[in-house]
Formats: sequence, C-alpha cells, structure tokens
Amino acid sequence: MRPGAVVEVDRNTPPTLFHYGEGFRLERLPLGSRIIYPPDPMDPIGHPERAIRRALTKPIEDDPLKDLLRPGMKLTIAFDDLSLPLPPMASPDVRQLVIEEVVDMAAHAGIEDIQLIAAIGLHRKMTADEIRHIVGDRVFTAFWPDRLYNHDAEDPADNVQIGKTSNGEEVWLNRRALESDLVVYVNLTLVPMDGGQKSMSTGLGCYRSIKEHHTVHTLLNSNSYMHPPDSALHHSCIRQGQIIEDAVRVFHIETSLNNHAFPAIANFLQKRETDWTTSDQAAFYALKQATDLAPPDLKRTMFHSMLAPYGMTSVQAGQVDKVHDKTLEAVRSQMLVPVEGQTDVVTMGIPYLGPYNPNSILNPVLVVCLGLGYLFNLYKNKPVVREGGVVIMSHPTRYEFHSVHHPSYIDFYDEVLADTTDSAEIEKRYEKRFAEDPWYRQMYQQSYAYHGVHPFYAWYWAAHALAYLGDVIVVGGERSTVHRLGFKAATTLEDAFEMAEQTVGRYPSVSHLRTPPLLLAEVE
Amino acid sequence: MEALIAEGLAGKTILITGSTGFLGKSIVEKLLRAVPDVAQIRLAIRSSQRRSAAERLEKEVLSSPAFKPLKEKLGEDAFAALVKQKLAVVEIDLGREGLGLTEENRAQLLSADIVIASAAAVEFDNPADLSAQTNLLGASRLVETLAAGEGSPHLVHISTAYVGGMLRGLVREELPLDPGLNWRHEAKILSTLRPVVEEESRTPEVLDRLTKQARSRMGPAGTPATARTVERLRDRWVKDRLVERGRTHARSMGFSDIYSFTKAMAERAVVELHGRLPLSIVRPSIIESALAEPFPGWLEGFRMAEPIILAYGRRVLEDFSGLPDALLDIIPADYVVNTVLAVAASPPPEGEYRIYHAASGSRNPLRLRRMQEETQAYFQKHPLRDRYGQAIGAPNWTFPPRQELESKARAALKAVEAMQWVVERLPMTGMADFSDNLNETRDRITRGLNLSELYGVYTEVDCVYDTRNTISVWEKLPAAEQKAFPFDAALYDWTHYFQSVHMPTVIRMARAETGLRKGKQPTGSTAPPDSRDLAVQAIRKRAGRADVLAVFDVDGTLVETNVIEYFIWMRLKSQPLREWPEFLGGLLAEAPRWLQLERRSRAEFQRSFYREYQDLDYEDMRQLGREAMNAVTLRRLYPEGVRRIREHKLAGHRVLLLTGALDVVVEPLAELLEVEVDCAHLLVKDGILTGDLQSPPPAGEARGTLLEGYAESNGIVLADSFAYADSLSDLPMLELVGTPVAINPDARLSAVAGQRGWRIERWTMPPGNWRLPIPDPRSKEYRSQFA
Repeated sequence: MRPGAVVEVDRNTPPTLFHYGEGFRLERLPLGSRIIYPPDPMDPIGHPERAIRRALTKPIEDDPLKDLLRPGMKLTIAFDDLSLPLPPMASPDVRQLVIEEVVDMAAHAGIEDIQLIAAIGLHRKMTADEIRHIVGDRVFTAFWPDRLYNHDAEDPADNVQIGKTSNGEEVWLNRRALESDLVVYVNLTLVPMDGGQKSMSTGLGCYRSIKEHHTVHTLLNSNSYMHPPDSALHHSCIRQGQIIEDAVRVFHIETSLNNHAFPAIANFLQKRETDWTTSDQAAFYALKQATDLAPPDLKRTMFHSMLAPYGMTSVQAGQVDKVHDKTLEAVRSQMLVPVEGQTDVVTMGIPYLGPYNPNSILNPVLVVCLGLGYLFNLYKNKPVVREGGVVIMSHPTRYEFHSVHHPSYIDFYDEVLADTTDSAEIEKRYEKRFAEDPWYRQMYQQSYAYHGVHPFYAWYWAAHALAYLGDVIVVGGERSTVHRLGFKAATTLEDAFEMAEQTVGRYPSVSHLRTPPLLLAEVE
Repeated sequence: MEALIAEGLAGKTILITGSTGFLGKSIVEKLLRAVPDVAQIRLAIRSSQRRSAAERLEKEVLSSPAFKPLKEKLGEDAFAALVKQKLAVVEIDLGREGLGLTEENRAQLLSADIVIASAAAVEFDNPADLSAQTNLLGASRLVETLAAGEGSPHLVHISTAYVGGMLRGLVREELPLDPGLNWRHEAKILSTLRPVVEEESRTPEVLDRLTKQARSRMGPAGTPATARTVERLRDRWVKDRLVERGRTHARSMGFSDIYSFTKAMAERAVVELHGRLPLSIVRPSIIESALAEPFPGWLEGFRMAEPIILAYGRRVLEDFSGLPDALLDIIPADYVVNTVLAVAASPPPEGEYRIYHAASGSRNPLRLRRMQEETQAYFQKHPLRDRYGQAIGAPNWTFPPRQELESKARAALKAVEAMQWVVERLPMTGMADFSDNLNETRDRITRGLNLSELYGVYTEVDCVYDTRNTISVWEKLPAAEQKAFPFDAALYDWTHYFQSVHMPTVIRMARAETGLRKGKQPTGSTAPPDSRDLAVQAIRKRAGRADVLAVFDVDGTLVETNVIEYFIWMRLKSQPLREWPEFLGGLLAEAPRWLQLERRSRAEFQRSFYREYQDLDYEDMRQLGREAMNAVTLRRLYPEGVRRIREHKLAGHRVLLLTGALDVVVEPLAELLEVEVDCAHLLVKDGILTGDLQSPPPAGEARGTLLEGYAESNGIVLADSFAYADSLSDLPMLELVGTPVAINPDARLSAVAGQRGWRIERWTMPPGNWRLPIPDPRSKEYRSQFA
C-alpha cells in the first residue's frame, strides 16, 4: 500500500481534480500550494467469510457467539443503514456476509425468534430494494417484511426509556432490542466517527435520546468528532452506551473497509493526477464533457447507480469498546496522512454524495454538512486550515431538494435559513418545532423522509467549522443559494483566492484536500 | 340696466331638471352663491329605486365638491339654513307620460317663473332607447306639460352645439336644417327598440353563439356559472346592440352619434310644442372643467377629452386621427352656467324662441394641434408614471386618417385574440403571465379603438359656432355682472386653461401618479423585504376557530400532477416491462379525446377516464395507490401547499381535501396529512372494479354542493373559510368561501380571479423531483413480482 502524500504544486504539476457535485472541475492551484492525497487502498482480507467466522468464534473480551446462542431465545440483529459506506458497496455488502453468518449460526442453534432491525435512528427508512442490497437476497427473502424492518424512532410503542446517564442524559432504546435476550449489532465503520457505543445509542434511539448529544454545544466541543477521544459527542454516546450495556446483552461486530471508493470505470478518481495514464485522461475528458452537458437528474441517476468495490480490511467482535479500538486502528491505518502545519486556505471539492443522500439529492444544506461538517473535520489534533482561515469548496449548490426524502430540509432552507444561519439561534428558536411537527413525523414514519429535526443536525455538524473559520467561499455555486447559506459565491477558483485574500492577506498558504477517497489529516 | 342677471332673476322661482347632473348642480350652486334674490330654486328629481328624491338631493347634489367653497364661506349651519330657505324638491319623472306628477307637484312645476331643462343622457354611446327616452321624450313631455298649464314660464332648454350634425363652415344660432324627420316617429322607433332587441337576443342563433362563448369561458365551472355567464353576455349583447342601433340610426341621418341626434330631435320638439311660452335654447359645445367657479377645475365624471388625454399621457394612444387644424370647441363649465343664467334672465317675448351657442370657436378658437401641444407640454412637465415609477414620455401624434388607424388597430386586435384562443387551449400551466399580458394588450387596443370610434369625428369638425346671440346678451351685461358672470370665451387664454386648470383636474380625477413623492425614492437596499406572508397572517387572524374550514383541491393545486399519471404509474408497476409499450400506446391514442373532454368538463373527463380501471382488482389498486404515494404524489407535492395545510391545522382549522381523484390514491395522502378527504370512489363488484363511479365525481358544481353540505353538517362558517384551487372547474367551490385562493391558475381561472380580486399564488416544486410516472424497471422489488 502506498501511503498518503503531501505534494507541492510546481510548474510541472498537472491540473488538480475538484469534485463538483455531479461533475468535476480541473483547476490549477497557485504555485507553492500543497495537495494532500489519501493513501492508496489497503489490500483487503483475502477470505472475508473466514475472517468473519474467526471473529465470531474468537471475540475480544466476550464469549464466542455460538455459546451465547440457545434455542428459544429472542435474538435481534441490528445493522447500520445506507448512510454507510459511501458510495454503497458492490454486492456482497460486508453486512450481508456478517448477517448471513450470524443467521446461519442462530438457525443452527435452533433459534426461531429472530428479527433484523435496520438501525436508522432519525435517518430515512430504507426501501425494500435498499435493504435487500445491504442484507442480500437470501436474508431478505426469508425475513422481509415482518422480521426484517426499519427501526421507527417515532412509534411510542416501539421506544422505551431505559434510564439516565450520570450527566442526566436520557437513554432510550428500541423495544424489541431491549426485550431480546441478545442483540447482535452489525457495524460498518468508514470514518472514525462511526461505530462503537454510538451505533446502538443513535441507531436504535429516538429524538429524546439523540438530542442529548446532537447539540450545538457538544459539536462545538468536539475537536474533532473524527477523533473520539477529543469529542464531546462521543463521550456522551459512550455514557449512553454503558447504560444500554447494563440493560441488554449486546454482541458487537465491527468491520472496516479500505478506501477503494470508485469502480474501474471511474478509476481516475481513485488515482492521483500525476499517475493518470492516457486512458485515464481520455476517460476523465469523456466524463467531464458528459457531466457538463447532461441535466442534473440524468447525472444523478448515473452517479447514484455507481457502486464501490470496497474491500474489507478488518472484522472484530465482542465487547463494544474493545472492538471499537481495534476498528479505529484499522480505519486510521487506511486513512491517516501526516500533515505538517496548518495553512491559511483549504480547498476541497464537494462530490455528489454525502451520508444523507444515497439515491437522493445533495441539497444546499447537505452541501454545508458534507463540506464543513464531514470533510473539514477529517483531522486529528487540529484542522488543516488555521483558525480564522478560509475554506474554498466547489459545488453547484443549486436550489434542489428531494421532496420525499428531505421535506423538512426544504422548509429549513426556506424558513429557518431565511431568518438566520446562526446555529445556536436556530437550535433555540426552531429545533423543537421541527422535531415535533406531525407532518414530518408522518413523513418519517409512513414514507421515506428524514426526521423533521435532521436538517438541524446537518447544520450543527458544521457549527464547529463555522465558528472556527474566517470565511467560506463556494466556487461555481448558485449565487442566491450560497448567499442564503451565509457564504460567498465565486465564479472561478482564481476569484475565490482573491476573495480569500481579503480575509487571510496576500499570498496565503494553501492546502487542497484531494478527497474522496477519504483521508484523515494528522496535523502536527 | 343696472344688473341684468340679478334683476332678471330677482323674486323669481326657478325650476331645474337634471340637477343631479354636472351642469345642473353647477347652475344650482351658482344661483345659491351669486343670486341671493332668487325666490326659490326647485329641483326636479325623480326618486330612484334606492333613494327618495330628498335623499338624492342630499347625497347626489349637496354633498358634491361643487358646494364645498360655499359651505366653507358660510359655515355648515348657515349653508343648511340657506338650503332650507331656497331649495325645494319637486318629484318629476321625465320618463313617464304626464311626468308622474301629483297635484301638488304639478302646481309647483306650473307656478315656476323659469324652467331650466338640463336633464340629458350625455354619453355618446348610450343605448338608443335610453337616449330617446331622456333626451327627446323627456324634453317633449316637460314642454307639453308646461304648455298645458296656465302660466307662461320662461323655458331654458339646454341642448348641444352638435345638433347640426357634422356641418362645415359657420353654424348659426337657429334651428338646424330639417332633414325631413318627424321627431315623434323617431322617438317611437327608438324608445321601443328594446323589446325588439331583447327578442332578437333570444333567437336560437344568438343564444347558441352566446352559450358557446360562455361554455368556452366557464364550461368547467358548471351549469349555474355558465348560465349566469350566458345571461351576462346576453345583457351585454342587448346593450351593445342597442348602442349600435342608435349609432347607426344617428349616422344614417347625418349625425355623429345618438346623443346629438336625439338632442336635435328634442330641439324640434320643444320648438314645435312651446306654444306661448318664451323659449330659449342654449347649445353648449364640449363642456369641460370650470375655469374659476365654484373652484378652478371643478369637474364631475369623465367627459369627452379626459379619456383621450389620459390615454395620450399613458401612451395607450400612440397616435390619434383628426385634422390638426380642426376646431376643438371646448367651453369651461362655469361659462356655460353663466350663459344659462344670463339667458334665463333675458327671456324672448311670449311665443317666440331664441337660440344661443355657448362655444369658444368664434371668439377664441382652439385647434386640435394646440390642444395636443398643450397636453404634451403638461405631460413633459408632469409626466405620468408607469408601475415602476418611471416617467412615461408622451408621444407625438401625427394625425393619420381615421380609417387607416382603425384598420391597423383592428388587425392587431385580431392577432391578439387569435393568440389568446391558442393559449387558452394549451394544456399547460405557467402560461398565466403570457395570458395576462395578452389580456392587457387586448384591453389597450380595444380602448384605443373605442375612443377613436366615439370621439374621432369630433376631431374632424370643420365648423365654427356662431355666438352672435350670446355675445349680444354679454354686451348688455353691466361691467360688474360681466365680472361676476363671465361667459365670453375671449376672456381667457388656453395655455392658462390647460396648464393650470384642466390638466391638473384630469390628473387628480384619474388618481394618476405624476412626480415622485418624497420618501418614495428607492433606497437601494438589497436586504430581503420583511417576509410577512399575508396568507399566513390571514390564517393566524382566524386561529383557534374550529368553525373555519380550509378546503383544498388536490390535482394541480396541492400536487403537481393529474389523475392520469397515477394511473400510468400503477398500471406499469403491475405489469412486466415487455407489456409496457402496448399499454402506453393505447393510452396515447386516447389522449386527444381526453384533452377535449377535460376542456369541456372535468367531471366528464374523469368519468370517461375512470373507465380505464375496469376489471382491475380493488385491493391491488389500493396497495399500488399506497406505493404511488411515495413514487408519484410526494414527488409532486408542493412544499408551500403542505406548509399551508399545516399552518391551517396549527390554527385549529378543519382541513378538507375535495377532489375528483380516486380514493386509492388520495386517501393515503390524506392519512399522511391527517386531514379529511372527499374524493371519487369506484364501484367494486366482487373485489373487482367495474369502471363506474359509485356517485358522480366531486367536480364542477358538485363541489359547491358538497362543500355546502359539509359546512352545514359540521357547523362551518364558509364566509370565514379558505379554498385553494387551480382550475375553473373549482369555481363553485371558490365562490362559496370568504377567502378563495387561486393556485397556479389556468388562463381562464386567472382571468376570473383577477376580475374578482382574489389572491393568486404560484407554488413551485423544488427542482430535481420531476420523474416520468414510471416505476424503476431496474428495481429488484419490481422484477421480483413477475419472477
């Protein structure tokens, strides 16, 4: 595996790729800028099924799964939803492999009462097709729809309060999970934020428990939430998780993937520009022309049907915290890039896909969430950009919303952001109303909508970056939308740099995050 | 003589007809103010349907601004006392044989010393029968009654300078040339035209045409609305026809319009009938704002020149026909009043008559070119403003021949109407702006054409009105009275008249905007305006009232789709991919027929379309309807619509979806929105749909009835309720509630909503949601059905 790299832009550096929604831009960065490349994909485990079986029979600080299974017991298998991984993994999904193994073992042990719950938390319910993709045909056919279903965080009969943490945070859990003799949690960790105690406490929680840590205050105190030891968010999740562990027997299975995010057809996206061959260049050129001309809908259909050839790099099972430590180790070894010092400006291309829009639209609010929430926070120690610095993102930021998946986002944009972009103000004045709105509740329960409060969380995710940064500039963004978000729109990258100079002074130092594939910058 | 007018009128009782009119009340005012020795002024007023004669005196005469200066000078109390002392009402109905007089009234009429007859229907385009009744028969009845009495009051008959028709050269103050017409015969023909025309309007050809027109305009709104429209169109047709008959009749006799024709006939009648009465006929030309009294610019109602002046200033009339050197004979109202009073004070000997022109042409000619220059100069100094606050530049008129101008305008009108025809038939929304624009253009051209047709002739007048008789009276006036009662047109200057008197009046009366007011200049701020949503405010104002209902149409209003899309989606979802082309082809073949039906009546269309559901399984369709909600409905549901519904629910209102869409697709939506629904139900037999409806679909007038029934059984106050709809077929529903809102209206509803001042809103789908109404053929879920 080739490690990540920090490369200086000189006269010979080829133009740099910027993701730009459902399209791309090729930009020349100022001489002297540095480009931070992710490491190449690690070699995946050769026989994932075997590795899974080994993990289940030799768990960490827990009994082998086989010993925990006994006939007549109530078994619940909970699994991560489609917000992971991005893009969705080509079949078979690692969760399918793990779930099939667990289901087989349970069947072998003579267990009849098995239910599978998609731990969606406040995310949208997954469609039958989406669930089928994660669990595979075999499990789907056997269990759907009565014994394989989405968690419902708004059904009063389905959610039970099990206690309060030492800090007074409420802890709620899915009733079926709580009443089970054993819960097997099947996780997939893509970035260090995922997994661990957060899996159960958010995936099977409800608004009343999730709101305890999804607040502006916690997020401002998470530096970063991509590094759990420094994250108030994770501390709270861990406190809740411990209450859950006391209430129900959990057997935790975690998997990690390499960063092979793009299929062969878009291989150049995986590669550094310096490594592009003639055929890569031709492929890029063709795709660029196509995406420049095609209407957004068509491009989305095309991009969202793209699946990633991820490979599994680790699988471990057993006690949550111990398992998670090992998972994080594996994730970090794939993602970590040592970076020396901060720069005045960080540039990043925002791709078509974030955690909250598979088979959907990356609406303006999600652009902020993805850029300033996720990508900005992919650091350890301190951000790549200095305090008071400028982030330059590229994305078309059109006024586009998916009316089935994101109804509350539309209203959040039209009503809340028209009033203020200040996270704390928004939290104080609007969150409760949206969270309890019966229409959003209906849409979440009956249809495929994200919970009414979800756009708030998407916005809070960027709170830390918004407080930290001096300015945010969106290259190629629709001016009125960018303005509504509280940022500045620039037509070209050159203009964006000129605008940035007003904040950080002439001749700023510049880093470009060449991502995705994702990386985690360890800034000294 | 010391004082001709004051002495001539002193101690006299004066009766005035037409005192609610502009000239009539001006005469009353002047008498009250300037002739204190008059014994009594009797106002001949007819009780109208709504008001008694005394009330009309109060409301239509004394409250006029003309009396304001006098009221201010005397004070309210002294004025009231003066009125009480001098004014009396006599009920006289000129429209009835014998004037509908009581004995008391007859005595009052006959005992008057001077009778000023100023009652007239002065519009040039009045229906023939109205003009004949008022101008001709009214005058003849009055003079007949007077002549039959014992006294011999001085009758001052107000006529018009244009009784001579379109003459050239000098028009003398004598009876116009007799074209050999018998006024009695003319009066009979014209005043009995109405029944004939009414009859004509009910002939099958006419009624059929009107019904067709009404159906095209209002068809989907249901039978009562269409019927009302037919009746309105017929009324209009009768009026237009009467106007046309009158105009043609007058023109064939050599007159420009029915007004001057009936007035000419009236002159003949009064001259024939006056007998021993001394008779004076005063013929004013075009009466415009008063020069000085009761205040400069006193004017009531838009008369002749004003519409043209405004149309000019607004650039509606880019050009106007006429002879630049034609005499435009305008005379200020106070000059006419003074002429009338001076004439009234100097009666001819018994049995004789004398004619006076109140005109400016011979003493102080105003040419059309001058008038245009004055107007242009005024508008250059005080330009009218368009809706952006920009000055509108007044055009230069070139005075082309009238025929040329009118034929150009007619061609333009035809083109616009053709476009409207097309636009109204296009099966798409979003044309409303364009359609409104067309409407506006059509109005503009029609207005110009009307002006040209009505007034065009007056700009081609090539004659001068002789004022020798009038001037001889003027010269008899002592200097003091010449000052107090000026009526020699040579006394004033047209520039002064237009720039300081008339034009400001026209602008004031039109409430047109000239000059930028202070504080109105834009600040340049780009901050978004305070987003106080008026609609939401209206809702919140009625918060907490369970008797308020918000009723929503679904297809096209709440959801950007129609019943066809659901059907296509549901049917495609339930059949394998290979059968799609055949199915879609079949639908395509039916499309033109459906479009046709939809245009005529939504209910007919729905009934016909729902036949497609024949032989389908009801439970399957219900299941598919549920799925269609996520795949079709929610992807086309206007966020603003949902917000509005929630706002209503938050305010505690009841919300009802009233739609002709099918239960299988609407009920899931209503469940999701947690609102009530009334929709179409298909007949189910043994679990299979027959394609028939259980009851007529709630469309057109059925919606009105349904809504009324709902309101009654639920205690809803419809006057405080809201209705949201997009199409003309929802009109009966919209008309019932206090706050109707047209959402993305089609051209026809847009026109209706505009006329009635209803709120029109445009709701949009955020981009990125549009999909063909077909299920994803790649979906495993879809494929697994047929495995």
